[in-house]
Amino acid sequence: MKIRTLKLREAHKPSAAYGAANGSSFCSILWDQQARHLVTASSSDSGISIHDALLPSTTPKILRHHRDGVTALALSPNSTCLASGSIDNSVKLYKFPGGEFETNITRFTLPIRALAFNQSGSMLAAAGDDDGIKLINTVDGSIARVLKGHKGSVTGLAFDPMGEYLASIDSMGTVLFWELQSGTILHTLKGVAPNTGLDTSLVNILSWSPDGEMLAVPGLRNDVVMYDRDTAEKVFTLRGDHLLPLCFLSWSPNGKYMATSSLDRQVLIWDVLKKQDIDRQKFEDRICCMAWKPVGNTLAVVDVSGKYGLWESVVPSSMKSPTEDIPQSSKKSNGLLLFEEEGQEPCSSGSLGDNGEDSIGESGPPSRKRIRKRSEFDEDRSTENTIDDYGLLPQRMAPKRAREQLDKGANEELRSTAISVRSKMQEAFQPGVTPVQPGKRRFLCYNMLGTITTMEYDGYSHIEIDFHDTSRGPRVPAMTDHFGFTMACLNENGSVFANPCKGDKNMSTLMYRPFSSWANNSEWYMRFEGEEVKVVALGVHWVAAITSLNYLRIFTDGGLQKHILSLDGPAVTASGSKNRLAVVTHASNCLPSNDQVLEFHVFDIRNGTRPSRGRLPLSPGSHLIWFGFSEEGLLSSYDSKGVLRVYTSQYGGSWLPLFSANKTKKSDENYWVVGLNASKLFCIVCKSPEVFPQVMPKPILTLLDLSSPLASSDLGADVLENEFILNNLHLFQIQKRIEESSSDGRDTTELDDEAFSTEAAQDRCILRLIASCCNSDKLVRATELVKLLTLEKSMKGAIKLVTALKLPNLADRFNNILEERMLNETKDMSEAAGVAVNQGSGLGRNGTSSEVSSEPSCIPSSSTTLSAPHFVKKVVNRGAQKGRSDHNQTAREVQPEAATSGGSAELRTTAAAGNQETSRTSNPFLKSSSNHEGAAKEAMCQRPPSNPFKKSVK
Amino acid sequence: MAGQSGSQLSLFTPDEVEFMAEDELVEIVPNLRMDSLNFICGDYGPFYPQIAIQVPLWLALALKKRGKCTIRPPQWMSIDNLTQVLEGERESHAFQSLPFHYVEISRLLFDHARDDIPEIYMARSLVEDIRDVRFHKVETNLENFTASAVTWKNMAAMEVNIIRAFSGRALQAFYRHENEQLIPDLDRTQDRQPQNLNDRPRRNLRPR
Repeated sequence: MKIRTLKLREAHKPSAAYGAANGSSFCSILWDQQARHLVTASSSDSGISIHDALLPSTTPKILRHHRDGVTALALSPNSTCLASGSIDNSVKLYKFPGGEFETNITRFTLPIRALAFNQSGSMLAAAGDDDGIKLINTVDGSIARVLKGHKGSVTGLAFDPMGEYLASIDSMGTVLFWELQSGTILHTLKGVAPNTGLDTSLVNILSWSPDGEMLAVPGLRNDVVMYDRDTAEKVFTLRGDHLLPLCFLSWSPNGKYMATSSLDRQVLIWDVLKKQDIDRQKFEDRICCMAWKPVGNTLAVVDVSGKYGLWESVVPSSMKSPTEDIPQSSKKSNGLLLFEEEGQEPCSSGSLGDNGEDSIGESGPPSRKRIRKRSEFDEDRSTENTIDDYGLLPQRMAPKRAREQLDKGANEELRSTAISVRSKMQEAFQPGVTPVQPGKRRFLCYNMLGTITTMEYDGYSHIEIDFHDTSRGPRVPAMTDHFGFTMACLNENGSVFANPCKGDKNMSTLMYRPFSSWANNSEWYMRFEGEEVKVVALGVHWVAAITSLNYLRIFTDGGLQKHILSLDGPAVTASGSKNRLAVVTHASNCLPSNDQVLEFHVFDIRNGTRPSRGRLPLSPGSHLIWFGFSEEGLLSSYDSKGVLRVYTSQYGGSWLPLFSANKTKKSDENYWVVGLNASKLFCIVCKSPEVFPQVMPKPILTLLDLSSPLASSDLGADVLENEFILNNLHLFQIQKRIEESSSDGRDTTELDDEAFSTEAAQDRCILRLIASCCNSDKLVRATELVKLLTLEKSMKGAIKLVTALKLPNLADRFNNILEERMLNETKDMSEAAGVAVNQGSGLGRNGTSSEVSSEPSCIPSSSTTLSAPHFVKKVVNRGAQKGRSDHNQTAREVQPEAATSGGSAELRTTAAAGNQETSRTSNPFLKSSSNHEGAAKEAMCQRPPSNPFKKSVK
Repeated sequence: MAGQSGSQLSLFTPDEVEFMAEDELVEIVPNLRMDSLNFICGDYGPFYPQIAIQVPLWLALALKKRGKCTIRPPQWMSIDNLTQVLEGERESHAFQSLPFHYVEISRLLFDHARDDIPEIYMARSLVEDIRDVRFHKVETNLENFTASAVTWKNMAAMEVNIIRAFSGRALQAFYRHENEQLIPDLDRTQDRQPQNLNDRPRRNLRPR
């Protein structure tokens, strides 16, 4: 293993004045929640240092309030309050990060050894050489409980992240599990940790895993032992290369890794799931405390001589970051997701490695369920409330109840959003909106065109409309909004706003504001009595609003009320593009598994039709977070599990998953989708835990490749397979558009060109897939792929490829396929020839449009016959009897041409040749119509032998 | 000692070095839609609003002046990184790794893209500090310049430029002293050459 040296800088001088045992003292270190500050303390120094983590060279702020060495530090989860315990028997509270002394919250008769905050910060546990653990209300300093049971001095305390238990350990190595609700000992584990004796620089500690499922305790055999949360049974141990007993351990914020330090001066990093050490570092002195940086991949360490340092990139970059998936891990076990995100898994006490979370008051039902289901969450809350109501809480809690209720009020808000998102039918939302943040500007609408932002002041809001393309979009003056708009939509022509109703006075209002109009005063308002606008959408010359009465109201851009439709269910969201409006509604209540049951409807506003409707699929347990049209006009949705789906008419209309955030996700990134085109997803990348962007600084769009969630194939050519699928989809879309426009009688030349180039690209991709199939000996698959090739040239290329790869067997098969195809063509030819004879010279005169538009109808979805049109063209002009021999000639001529280039290069040349051919054949009828009219016979005679394809076209 | 301002001693003027630095790529976020630009140095674009793209510094600055883009300051210009580098510079004898053109790039960005750099005053003073420390290092290094192998890693363009002429000639001098009898007339020719280089007519670059 690589040996590195970590440079440590001195924070506390080991001095003899405070009687440090043999020059070593117990030092503590911890991060604040945002990783802006590091706090260190030493048991031989009465000062607490607050270091600026960004500028380590600046002198730290030193708090000198203790009269003796500081043995324990703890930071409240929101990093506003610092607690310190000292040998001078007192526990003091400070403001953080300012460091102003607040109060002596409690006093003991003997030195303090351990401190821990619970998750809400409302309770502090303190213990030391005295025989009781004090639970202190941080609000009023009252002592809620004294937990007596340890025989030696208590050196480690940890609140369980779910708020039900407190674990403590003493210097004799005894671990106790306390139930907070009743204050009773649940389990006693005697002598499971080493006996540290009288050396105060060495303490026993313990720590809950961030998800609260396990308690990590140093074991007797230089290992870490994990105990089950409920049964206190040994789950597993982490044993490795520590030669001496452990002196500290710390979970990474996501609980995937653990850092342990030992008396042998090594620090080991463990992958907890694999139970394996992944890295180590040896230090000059024993490391007595460590803290993972709450954001980033860094471990802060401090040794017994008071020197601290930062170990950067602790976890190798190839592995998951230690801060990735924090919410995920906590989601598993408790319902307070949002709350916890707010708290951001603080390393609330470095010295204790504690991640305690809930206060007693919030600890939920007394029953000890292993995993509380989210669906039970509501119930939980009600039981909790009844607990409060019936005064089941210990009487001693009374003084702090009032304040706690306040705290809870604040949390309730967060929770209720969490619930609405989780176990209820999801609320209506506007795509591209970000939630309200007090004092900050937020997006009402963010799309590929521009943004609408709002900022709330006293009684009014300030709305700005900006276009991304400053050179083209109209300049829109900012406006003052007295309605309090919360929904908005933007397109090239105008913007629409709406507000929910707030009481009787403030009715729900819809406002449309065109950007340019020939008439003055062309903005208009609509008011809704007893009805509330839920979602708005905007298209070309229409405005749609969906209301709480499940009405879909359609207005013209002049403000005419054109249609009012009743929708099937409560609206979730809507999106408009050109003349199409897509609406998502709830089809029924949530499934017990928390799956939303959604339905979508697409309306064609101009024609007054409903082209498609159906269920809107979502990943299990997720909800819809974005909905809209791609640049090409395909309906797309994005759910909270990060799966993007696009609606196609394949299989009679179905949703294809085209992107999955899990597959591409880099560590700690969230994608906030804005739009997509045929091959890319446009999104704003937000660093976790943030899930939406801020207005300032202006977010930039990131392009991500679309990729189907392919299974890991034995081929190892994922990129090609992905390209294959996307090309197929693309081809399908083009053909559908060709059909549509040809049925409308529009010119499809451009689409044809696009189709041909896509076909060529697809052939190139297939050829490369064939190559990789051959290389990995998947010959059947290669044969299947050959059948999918469109162009004759590509087929020949494939034959040459397998010949070069020395697979004669396969080459034979390919030849057979080719011949079979040609036979089919001959049949087609004879039919087509009949047509040609009948139509005679009329063909040429009929002109481009009719001929081309008839062509797509010859392109059915099966690609075996896709190549038919080319040959049909040929045949039309040549006559049936010559067709066969001519093909042979073609084959002969092409062979030497391509045979000159060998090996893999051949691939490219054939592909290129295929491309060339398409460009040539793509507009054959232009030529035929311009060169001569109805001179089919003539064309047959002038036959430049060098290029049969070109000629065949004439 | 080869002074920082001794432009007659160095091969290129600072302006010229800056000119060369303008070919470095930076990331910009355009706020307009524009097709690809085809230059001798390569094709850049197409540009889409709010989507970051890499372009040469000169193009970035040209667009910036017209208010068509914002420049994203490079990674190494973050306060975090600069603080770290400065610390490393102060503590170790070696040069910390920084882009070859860090002096020029940072100067151009500080001058022209002031609003795009977060905490510009901090960043600017850090870069200046780093530059001073490193220039000082260059000078002290020159003091113990010997004929033996000279390895200075991570030197930047401006720093190299300061010592280029001096060190070249110094090495020649060492060489001459060692092999005096072998090449008696080398010094004249060698001496003249850099002189010629220095005396070449300089074209003043158009200031930005």
